[in-house]
Amino acid sequence: MRISGKRLNFGFDRFSGLYLWGLFILIFGIWEPRLFLTLGTVHSIASEQAVAALLGLAVVVPLATGAFDLSIGATANLSAVLVALLQSQQHWSMWPAIAVALLIGVIIGAVNGFIIVRLQVNAFIATLGMATIVGAVETIVSGNSQPQPPTSSAWARLTQYQIFGFQALFFYVIIIALISWWFLERTPAGRYMYATGGNGVAARLSGVRVGGWTWLSLIFSGTVAGLAGVLFSSQSGPSLTFGPALLLPAYAAAFLGSTQLRPGRFNVWGTVLAVYVLATGVFGVQLITSVQWLNDMFNGVALIVAVSFAVWRQRRARADVTPAQPVESSPAESGPGAAGGGPPGSANGQSPGLRSSPAGDSAAPGGGP
Amino acid sequence: MTAPADTTPALAVTGLSKRFGASVALQDVDLAIGPGEVHAVLGENGSGKSTLIKILSGFHRPDAGTVAVSGQPLPLGHPASSYRLGARFVHQDLGLVDSIPVLDNLAIGAGFATRLGTISARRSSERARADLARVGLAVDPGASVGSLSPATRTGVAIARALREDPGSPVRLLVLDEPTATLPATEVDRLMDIIRRVSAAGVGVLYVTHRLDEIFTIAGNVTVLRDGREVAAVPTSSLDHRRLVDLLVGEELTAAHHVAETLPAEGERPALSLRGITGASLDGFSADFGAGQITGIAGITGSGRETVLGAAFGAIDRTGEVLTAGGVRLAPSRPDLAMRHGLAYLPADRVRNAAILSLSARENISLSSLRPFRRFGTMRGRPERRIALTWFQRLSVRPPDLVDLPLESFSGGNQQKIMFAKWLRREPVVFLLDEPTQGVDVGAKAVLHRQLVQAAAGGAAIVISSSDVDELAAICQRVIVCRDGRAAADLRGGEVSARAISRECLLGSASPNHGVSSTTGVPRPGASPGRVFPDQGFPDQEGPADK
Ligand SMILES: Nc1ncnc2c1ncn2[C@@H]1O[C@H](COP(=O)(O)OP(=O)(O)OP(=O)(O)O)[C@@H](O)[C@H]1O
Ligand SMILES: [Mg+2]
Repeated sequence: MRISGKRLNFGFDRFSGLYLWGLFILIFGIWEPRLFLTLGTVHSIASEQAVAALLGLAVVVPLATGAFDLSIGATANLSAVLVALLQSQQHWSMWPAIAVALLIGVIIGAVNGFIIVRLQVNAFIATLGMATIVGAVETIVSGNSQPQPPTSSAWARLTQYQIFGFQALFFYVIIIALISWWFLERTPAGRYMYATGGNGVAARLSGVRVGGWTWLSLIFSGTVAGLAGVLFSSQSGPSLTFGPALLLPAYAAAFLGSTQLRPGRFNVWGTVLAVYVLATGVFGVQLITSVQWLNDMFNGVALIVAVSFAVWRQRRARADVTPAQPVESSPAESGPGAAGGGPPGSANGQSPGLRSSPAGDSAAPGGGP
Repeated sequence: MTAPADTTPALAVTGLSKRFGASVALQDVDLAIGPGEVHAVLGENGSGKSTLIKILSGFHRPDAGTVAVSGQPLPLGHPASSYRLGARFVHQDLGLVDSIPVLDNLAIGAGFATRLGTISARRSSERARADLARVGLAVDPGASVGSLSPATRTGVAIARALREDPGSPVRLLVLDEPTATLPATEVDRLMDIIRRVSAAGVGVLYVTHRLDEIFTIAGNVTVLRDGREVAAVPTSSLDHRRLVDLLVGEELTAAHHVAETLPAEGERPALSLRGITGASLDGFSADFGAGQITGIAGITGSGRETVLGAAFGAIDRTGEVLTAGGVRLAPSRPDLAMRHGLAYLPADRVRNAAILSLSARENISLSSLRPFRRFGTMRGRPERRIALTWFQRLSVRPPDLVDLPLESFSGGNQQKIMFAKWLRREPVVFLLDEPTQGVDVGAKAVLHRQLVQAAAGGAAIVISSSDVDELAAICQRVIVCRDGRAAADLRGGEVSARAISRECLLGSASPNHGVSSTTGVPRPGASPGRVFPDQGFPDQEGPADK
């Protein structure tokens, strides 16, 4: 039976997201075939979740180096407000306004990096503080009233221009995803970042400039968050509060994504997949009912169920591992000290910390109720 | 044997098999250990020893087979029941939690001493002290495990395993390479503890790569090769040679024959240390010659364990490190040291060297990505090819699976992969701390040959080791550390295990030296190979010992 279980491995561990996606499409397709099974559905799912996907990509890179960036929501929000203000109140033209908004993202990322790398403050705390400060700056800049959206048609076209029925925004996501994928998987820089996140001490002793890569990863996330803000502003208007609300979904996508395609590693396509699987589910649910709380409920339940399923699969499959199965570290050979997910932001995100309590894990071999 | 027909064996394993994907880790293994019997399980790296143990502890689920602990069938894949039946484990990498105190680590298995459901601090710590005293340790139960030396950490893990629990008395004690980084006095102490434990009727399963220990302690020997049982014999029927033959299945060419061709006088210094201070070093100065293998010996706190790390920049220091070209290396900058041709293999693999979540290939290539880079993009094929070459050269097992995450390799094979990572850079100066820990006899010879080859090619090799035999076998020169300085410099014919040990002990005889006095006293019964009191349990005082 166990043998057959091994043979009958359809890649549930690595591709569970794809299966889930198929399941959603099947269910909602049967339930509401005329509303759900349309091109319109495809188009609107693709563009509605584009900003969430961007923020998911923004966090994947620092997570690869083992650092949490909690300031991306606030950064996106500030950039969205700023880019609108500069155009509608200061009468700047579009491109300079966008450049300034992106620059703000770069600066915030650089300051985060300074605090984390130079002042050695835990990333979790540093970026949490930064998020609050950026929120305050946003209030100062906006005077706490939503700025007028710019009226130029170029501004709206920036994201809403249609290509094959998809909003241009969707293609921006694809482009950013391609760039981050190439960066993380295909350049030495990406390798150094994964090494930093895997074991910071060992990486340093292999000549990796651990601090520098952490810093760079935070600048990356700040910049992409700035871009996400600009695009959101163009697509939906400069809301004062959307950013922080997107923080959690971004992390949900990144963590869910780390169970997909390359399990045990925060990875770009896994994150994109996670965003769109969840988006499909939410969209389908909205067709069936209009209950308000269902969105949040769905997102939360899906995240927990999907990740626990992946952890369970990987624990069962710890045995029949084919490559890349590092979510669980074997206590005997690897030692919990080095392996544990540790507190968030520890340089040691060996596995992206899907499982809680490394202590509990290491207790097991010692035996004990 | 010790187990008459009417006594239930402490451990009975029948037909145990386990596969990882396509590779067979264990194939139809039988094993019986009577109460009071010390049974050694031996085998090359990756032969399945740790896998067997992880099955016993419930961490892995076997594909087939049964296990009974003192007559009771063990529900497999269930750690708690393994504990309840009286099986206790000291795993290869100990399984301690670094960030929390010794006290909490001890309590993880058996539970805290509580009062009305609340942890009683005083009673817990009294109990912890008693547990530690049982294995001759006097560490502060409040100290965090991460701050302890490797040897002390092993002691804590053993203390945890032997902790008394009225609910489930110990029936079987399983030790997976407990002595890999233990100095000789502590090995002796461990042997005493094992004797005492087995005299009380506990069965002991003992895994080691140090063959002399087997003749000291084990009644029976089971040898695994590629997951299969190739021998199960009483120790009395074996001698050292036959045992090695059983283990490797072929005769070894000892590396030291080759090493003898290397010059005792290095041509010119490839690396010079001048007045290195910091981390138990106090003005350490020495030159390491190119084309030569230099050993570094010394007891705990002598500076032996830290000097190479300090030179490379792993540990902060003051003082000068000069390359052959006269370049002064900045402290705490491993990247700059590497640029000048230095390489450093740290002693603590899991913490300081291995990136377990990355694949073996990625670990090997991390030391230099330049050859794989074209137009800013990594090229996969040459990277794989190089990893494969090194897998073959160092006979890493399982062969060819370079994309497996590092953590799925056995301990000894991980160590070989760390060697590959540095050797492929062809370092000018290669610094190694405890280089062959956990590596089997055959692989050890392979690694030694690699080092000799590198030296013959003009590299300066520097080995810091607690194993005097290893130093005596391949070093043309041995520097002995005392009080943070290079105190003796043995060359050529002067290098012998005995001479090194004597020089090491000279220093600790000085009464006002900070190092614990017990670790410095040679034991009359100590096995000749490892009379090397180094890395002793530092906080231990004489009287605490029994
Ligand atoms: N989690 C795992 N996934 C895949 N393969 C594994 C895993 N754990 C062990 N193996 C493989 O099983 C085989 C046996 O490994 P094991 O750790 O039992 O060796 P060992 O005898 O303890 O070696 P060493 O002396 O080096 O510690 C090795 O080939 C190893 O690569
Ligand atoms: Mg092992």
